[in-house]
Amino acid sequence: MDFAKSIAIAASGLRAQAGRMRIISENIANSDSTAQTPGGDPFRRKIATFTSQIDRALDARTVALGPVRTDPSDFITKYEPGHPAADANGNVKRPNINPLVEMNDMREAQRSYEANVNVIGATRRMIQRTLDILKA
Amino acid sequence: MTTPSAAAGAYSALARLADPSAALAKAAGDSDSGPSFGAMLKEAIGSVLETGRKSDAQTHAMAAGGKSNIVDVVTAVSETEVAVEALVSVRDKVIAAYEEIMRMPI
Repeated sequence: MDFAKSIAIAASGLRAQAGRMRIISENIANSDSTAQTPGGDPFRRKIATFTSQIDRALDARTVALGPVRTDPSDFITKYEPGHPAADANGNVKRPNINPLVEMNDMREAQRSYEANVNVIGATRRMIQRTLDILKA
Repeated sequence: MTTPSAAAGAYSALARLADPSAALAKAAGDSDSGPSFGAMLKEAIGSVLETGRKSDAQTHAMAAGGKSNIVDVVTAVSETEVAVEALVSVRDKVIAAYEEIMRMPI
């Protein structure tokens, strides 16, 4: 039934956005994670990707979290000679994470999640209204 | 979601039950061609139970140790809810029709 399918598709969207949220939370939580060895690389920002896939049982295209990629942009360097991860010049490589960008991503994930929840709600209301015909 | 289709099946079964030609054939001593109301109800309740069991399993898995996704639990439970509601609506309608017939002055 199409109603059941649309709920299942929206649920796949919920799962995908939840996965994206997990990656964003990893980025935010690790925004200060530096290397343990002098001159080593710190945490590298992760980027969530989404793929459209065909669900054989549903005969519909659902969304899933694709491979998690890393952001190849440069690390932020900070002069901090006392830091255990500082290199010979006293520079510490910090993760290439901009909290503002992560906040925006988080807001986007939140909005997409809400949109999918609204799809489920609207579908449920349609089912309910259809069943109400019997009760009249 | 199995039950809205079960409800639709129940309706078609009911239509066969209420089919005047089938009733005539039965009156003429023919073996019954359509399924009985009891069998139809049994089938519909069976499929509702099946969805109920699925959502129960999901809820248990989540409560036991968070193995199940909350999205799966919510969708399974709401699926069951819709299934039960569809079954109840059909039952109410069928019983209303039966009472209507019983009220008929003979």
